[in-house]
Order: sequence, then structure tokens, then C-alpha cells
Amino acid sequence: MSAASSCRLVLALAVQNLGRRQSRTLLLVAAIAVASAVTFGGVVAMRSVVASMQIGLSRVGADLMVVNQAALTNLTDALLTVEPTDSTLPADALARADVAGIARLAAQRILRTDQSGLGGAGELVDLIGFDPATDFTILPWLSERLTGPMQPGDVILGAARNLPLGTQVVLFGQPFRVYGKLARTGSGTQERGVFLHMASLIGLGDDVQARTGAVPPMLEPANVTGFLVQLAPGVSELQLRFALLSNVAGIKVIVGGSLLTGIRQGLVALLGGLVLLVVALSASTAVMVMVLFSAIMAERRREMGLLKAIGARPGQIVAIAVAEAAFATAAGGALGVVLGLLLLRLFERALVHHLSEMGIPFLWLDGAGTAAIAALCVAGAALVGMAGAWFPAWRMGRRDTHDLLWKEG
Amino acid sequence: MLACRGLTKQYETDRGPVAAVRSVDLDIESGCYAAIVGRSGSGKSSLLGMIGGLSRPTGGRVLIGGTDIWALSEAGAAAFRNARIGFVFQFASLLPNLRALDNVALPARLAGTMSRRAILERALERLADVGLDSHAEAFPFELSSGEQRRVAIARALMNDPALLLGDEPTSDLDEQTEREIMALLRDISRSRGTTLVLVTHNLALAAQAQRIVHIADGVVVP
Repeated sequence: MSAASSCRLVLALAVQNLGRRQSRTLLLVAAIAVASAVTFGGVVAMRSVVASMQIGLSRVGADLMVVNQAALTNLTDALLTVEPTDSTLPADALARADVAGIARLAAQRILRTDQSGLGGAGELVDLIGFDPATDFTILPWLSERLTGPMQPGDVILGAARNLPLGTQVVLFGQPFRVYGKLARTGSGTQERGVFLHMASLIGLGDDVQARTGAVPPMLEPANVTGFLVQLAPGVSELQLRFALLSNVAGIKVIVGGSLLTGIRQGLVALLGGLVLLVVALSASTAVMVMVLFSAIMAERRREMGLLKAIGARPGQIVAIAVAEAAFATAAGGALGVVLGLLLLRLFERALVHHLSEMGIPFLWLDGAGTAAIAALCVAGAALVGMAGAWFPAWRMGRRDTHDLLWKEG
Repeated sequence: MLACRGLTKQYETDRGPVAAVRSVDLDIESGCYAAIVGRSGSGKSSLLGMIGGLSRPTGGRVLIGGTDIWALSEAGAAAFRNARIGFVFQFASLLPNLRALDNVALPARLAGTMSRRAILERALERLADVGLDSHAEAFPFELSSGEQRRVAIARALMNDPALLLGDEPTSDLDEQTEREIMALLRDISRSRGTTLVLVTHNLALAAQAQRIVHIADGVVVP
């Protein structure tokens, strides 16, 4: 028998079987649709929540700030940038101490100057040098930016500075391109700040010296103004603060809002739990579908025996059952995606709109990502159905034809 | 045409092995109409199942036209059943979601050696042979029990089998319909030269056969 002819027959029999038991087929499609809708809606919402939280939690800032003990600091709940000061720390101070409990570490250099040439005469400008590769407090606040990663000749402007993206600004005679702008943070230093690559800020040293007569200490390559620190999971601020003060001389450790740190650590654990819940729900649905198909195949035992008797090969018996399951469950999966989109619409109206009114950003997964999850849901539903039908059909294909025709069970 | 040598079937049960058929030797000539008779549980259906390639023997061989059917691979046996053996069962064995025409065409579609048009033409011929060409579009639920059995006979003949097997093919039919179906089967056997082997416990029907095989306790009795 040619493969095309066999395929046509298998598909025709599968479709006709589905049409024969319309109520049961519709119930099966509905059950799969509900499961698919929950999975699709849950995964898209979860991915969106995770993306939004990553932004939101990053915006909460650092847990600790480490500066020279002589530095004056302005303590706020959100530690986003170190405060401008002439007191510095060795750039390798924390690396040399090798203190455990640090998840992320970002060094910053801040030069507060009225000689930069930016803004009106005598206007104080905070030039903040940071490393985009290690940063976790500045880039999350980007509200708009040019495409591509930030280059050494780029600057990011605080929300209080109103220049269009792509325009040129001159700092100490050197041109820079406006790469991005930050959202409003409520932190004066950050809102007035001009953020540039650490190396670019150090590179301004000679020009600064030419205008002010000296190279400020924070522009020396060996120095930084301070460090922003994020705690590793399970580590408290007090533990790390004590460890830092014990191991690094001449520092001051500023602790941020412990409540925010607790929320950050708790939410990460909660998200992990929710992912497990979705996985468990999907797995239980798969088992239910398999049980259902086992029952369907048992009911059609004699029909399968008849097909075998008149010349159907075991592989064709399996193919008929698997194709039937794939049609029904893929249809259920597709319907579920549509239902899931409606659920997400409700979610958007109920929660996202509310969050947006409160000024809390919510980032929906992009179209390509959503389409990929939809395709995975449909394919996953079909796979679950096929797996559920395959095993009982495979067993049936191997059974004695006479038993299928005459024996019960 | 059909030869059984030392054919044995033993079932495993909770109370130990039970022999349904014991070392049966049987020869049926080509074009012969043979009836296998015996009481319920005598082993006649088990014997027919092994002859038709539906139930694997515990021992012995079944030769149809010289082919040892139980020596064939699974796919080879399926192809052999499809091409050489026709079955008529004692239950309504039509696929309920297919029209009469499509039910009849099924063995040829499984074989896949003919065009779709040729298959449908031949299926219509077979329906005409059993007097049901006017019911080609009907679904099984639209047919009477006797008509359903005729459609099953047409399906059994679809690939021009050399051997037609019937397991109590008229047991659930009324007397009039039973006589009509049996007459149809005999005519087909005679006109086509098809070897016909029927299992029945109806001795009156068996009396019309050219050869009667009595079986009791799994053994052919003279």
C-alpha cells in the first residue's frame, strides 16, 4: 500500500470517527481547550509578570551601598546611584575582600561639576560612570533608548534633562550621543545625572584637569566612588554588612529598605512556585487525556479487531487512533489559545489597567513570544493526545485479532 | 487449498491451561463449501480463528494455497488476509461511520493497489452481487440486519479472496433472512469457485454443505 494512500485512508477514518461521536468529541475538545487556555493564559501572564517584575525589582535598586567612610550620604529606600563625594575607595576593594553573600556588584564613579559645559553657566552636573555589563540599577530605568547596546561614546540622561535621543551633547569638549533617557526615579542625583561608560568618564580626566587644574580622585583608574550591592538569596543585609565591615577597612555600608529586599527575595520564590503549579496542572491534564483515550480505545476494541481482520496492519491501527487524537486535541489546543487570549484580555482590564493607574509598569510579552507560546500550546495539546492514544492503540495492535473480536476487556 | 497440520490452541487461565483445539489435521479442497459444526465451546470458532490468521496457534501449521500463514511476518500476514481471505462475522461488523459503499471498499483501500475510482466501481459491483447497489449511499444504521450482513458479504468479496470464512454468519437473523444469506453464500461459492468454510451449530444449515467437519472437545471427530 502506498504511503500517500495509507495516509489518506487513516486520516479519513480518523475524521469520520470523530464525527461519529460528536458529543464525546466536543467534550474532549472542550476539556483540552480549558486546559490549553489555562496553560496558555498562565504562561503568557507569568512570562509578562516575570518580565515586568524583573524591571520593577531592578528599579527597587541595590540592597547595600558601600562608600568611603568619610563620604556623606543621602539615605533613601531605593539605592540607585552612589552619592557625589570626593572620597573614594580602591576599585578592587570588595574583590580583594572576597566576601560571600553578594549576588551582584556594580561599581560607580560620580563627578559633580559645574565645568562640563552642559546646561547653563555654572550649572551643577553629575557625571556618573558605570559599567553596563554589571549595572543593575540604571539601565532598568531606561524609558526610551536607541536600538542596539550602549556604546562608549553614548550617554544616558536623567529624566530632568530634556534632549532628544540621538542628539549630541558636549562634555568637557568631547562629543557624546544621547543614547537613552531614564524614567522619573525621585532621586535627585539620578534625575539630574548624565550616565556614561566608566571608561569614557575616566577618559575625560585630561580635559577636566585642563579646566580645573587637577584630576579628581574618582577619575583615577584605581579609584571608584562606591559600590552598589545586591544580596544573594537567603542572605540578610545585616549579615553582609557585618561581613563587609569586618573584611574591608575604611568603608561605610549603607543599608536600603529591608522590606524591599524581602519582597524581592520572596517574589522570586513565589514565581518559581507558580511555574511548578502550571507544570503540575499540565501534567495532570495529560494523564487525564491518556486515561480517556485508554477508555475510548477499549470501547472500540472490536472495531479495531475488524480492521485487523480485513488486512489493516498494527501500524495502521495505531495511526488511526493517534491521528484521531491529534485532530481532536489540536483543535482543543487552538480553541484554548483563543480562550486564553480572552482570559488575558480580562486580566489586562482587571489588573494591568489598575497597575498602570498606580504607575506600576506592566510589560506584555511581545507578539512573537506570545505566538510561540500559542504554537507550543497547540503542539503540546496534540502531543498529549497522541501520547494518550498511542499506548492503548499500540497494545491493541499487538493483541491477537481473535481476542479483539471476541474477548471482553 | 486449505490444510491444517497438528493445529493446536491452548489458552492460559487462572485454573491452568485449557486446550481448545487439539492437534487437528484437516484438508479442504479448493471451491469446496465446508461446514464446521459442534456444540458451544467445542473449539470450532478457535479453529476458524487460526485458519483465518486471527488467532495464533499454540502449535501446528495452517497452509492456504501452499502458504504457511503463521510463518509470515505481522505485515505479511495482514497483507495475506487482505488479499486471500474474506470474513463474515456473527455480529454487525460494519464501520458505523462509513456508507455501505465505503464499508465494502475498505479492504481494497487498505490494499492500496487500485485507483480510488476503480475501487468504488468494484465496490458497487459487489453491492450489486448481493442485491444492494441501490443502498450504496446508506449508512449501516439505515439498513436492516439482513442488509447489513449482505454488505459484510460484499466487503468480504471485495478483493476476490480464495477463501471465505464465516463464523455463525446468520445466528442473529430470522429464518427467512438466514435462508437468503445462506443461499447467497452458496451461490457465491459456486459461481466464483471460492472455498467457503462456515462455522455453525445449526445442523440443518450444515447439511447443505459439501463437507461437514464435526468437532468436539477440540478434536475432529469422524
